[in-house]
Order: sequence, then structure tokens, then C-alpha cells
Amino acid sequence: MNHYVWVWPASESLHFFGLSLLIGTVGLLDLRMLGMAKMLPLAPLHRLIPWGILGFIINLTTGILFFAGNPFRYIHNIAFAFKLLFIAVAGVNVLVFYLAVFRRTEALGPGEDTPLPAKIIAAVSLFLWVAVMCLGRLITFMDHTL
Amino acid sequence: MRESPSLLAFPAVLVLHTVGMGFLVGTNVAIDLRVLGFASGIPLAPIKRFFPVMWLGFWVNALSGLALLIAYPTKALTNWVFYVKLALIVLAMASLRTLGSQVFGDPEPDGKPLPRMGRILAGTSLLLWVGAITAGRLLAYTYVQLMAGE
Repeated sequence: MNHYVWVWPASESLHFFGLSLLIGTVGLLDLRMLGMAKMLPLAPLHRLIPWGILGFIINLTTGILFFAGNPFRYIHNIAFAFKLLFIAVAGVNVLVFYLAVFRRTEALGPGEDTPLPAKIIAAVSLFLWVAVMCLGRLITFMDHTL
Repeated sequence: MRESPSLLAFPAVLVLHTVGMGFLVGTNVAIDLRVLGFASGIPLAPIKRFFPVMWLGFWVNALSGLALLIAYPTKALTNWVFYVKLALIVLAMASLRTLGSQVFGDPEPDGKPLPRMGRILAGTSLLLWVGAITAGRLLAYTYVQLMAGE
């Protein structure tokens, strides 16, 4: 990581593209569950989620690369700590979504409203992933804070 | 904004720029994937309702980008990568607009084959955004002159 000058910027660019994939797919599903573009049936929209998972994997990989390149920097950074925490909470939210509401939500067709529990999960998801983006961007300003 | 140590200034603008990018590029990429044929069960007509998300992302980034430019004008304007980034964004947005009118401007886009132009635009859009993101990231590494006095 630290031997080739291009690895870090390339990884960062991949990290940004990965987050775009994640937000673009998960985010759009969340927005639909909250009532936007209501004529979209839910199951087909959900078929984009694997691309979001790809984005997450890209970011997990580049994230591990960043950390491995300079672990000392990250463990003493409060923005990084909170970012990981929020990602973990987002993960729990994903589990809740699939265990509690997915089957009912998946069946919804054009124009149909999602039940309130699904809306709450969607709102929480959107909030958490936006927060993860913010915290990630703030890492560079929070060195030596932990 | 440059000198303020407050987290509310420079870092906040960068955060806005990142979130704007996430929604603009993210939504655009999702739509491109659909136009390219993935998740083809998604009907095209309702997708138009997501266009405002992209336009909001674009304007948040245009304004935050302007703020960043005002904070460090020399750093950006003496860096040729900055112009490449802007050019790629202009092209990506033009591609989006064309896709918007060609595919989503059709009152009944579903039930008939996608115009060939649509797939080409979608593929081009993906490449342009990858380029714009890379150029944007490289700005931090390729600038020649930070301040005007140097």
C-alpha cells in the first residue's frame, strides 16, 4: 500500500465509487419505501441491491487497505470509530429489515404504500448511510482525537 | 472559510460535496444499470420521479464546489486536472439530460424496446462518472500551487 504512489488515490476513488453504488441502490429502495416514485413495484427495485452489496464489498476491501496502510492513525481517530459503529448499526438495521418486513414489503406493487415498520427501517437506513458518508469525510480532520 | 478552524466551515463543505456526489452519482449509476438491462423488471416510467434527487445532488455539489473554489482558487485553477473534472461533469450531466429526454421523456417507455441510444448513453455515463470521481480525488494530489503568493 505504501510502496506504490498510485495505490492510495486509486483506492480512494474506488471507495467513492463503492459508496455511490451503495447509496444509489439502497438509497433508492429506502426512498421508494418512504413513498417516492410510488409507481415502482418493490421486488424489481430490490433486484438492484446486489450492486449495492458490491459497492459495500469494494468499500470494505479498500477500507481494510487504508487501515492496513496506517492502523495507528485510524485507531486514534474518533470519526473512524463512529463510522464503524454506524456501519455496524446499519448492518443490524439490514437484518431487522430482512427478518421483520421484507416478505411483506417485497410483495408491494405499483402505487402501494409500505407499512409503517418498513418506513421506519428505511428512514433509519438512509440516515445511517448518510451519516457514514459524513463521518468518513471527517476522518481526515479528526486525527489524534482518541 | 479557509482559515476558520470551525468544523462548520471547510469540513462541512467537503461533507456536503461528498453526500451530494453520493446521491447524484449513486442514483445515476442505478438508473444506468437499469437502462443497460440489469433488474429489467423495474418499469421505466416511474424512474423519472428520481430525477429530482439527482438534480438536488448536482446543485448541492455545484454550490459546495463553488465554495471550495473560492476558498482555494489558485490551487484549483492552476491544476489542469480540475478542468478535466469539470469537463467530465459537464459531459456526464449532458448525458443524463439526454437520457432523461430520450428514454424517460417518452410518455410510455415501457412495453417497447429501449432506444439504442439509451444503452450507449448509460454506458458512457458510467465511464464519465468514474472519470469525474477519479479526477476529483486526484485534485488533492496533483495541485501545483496552493496559494497565489507562491
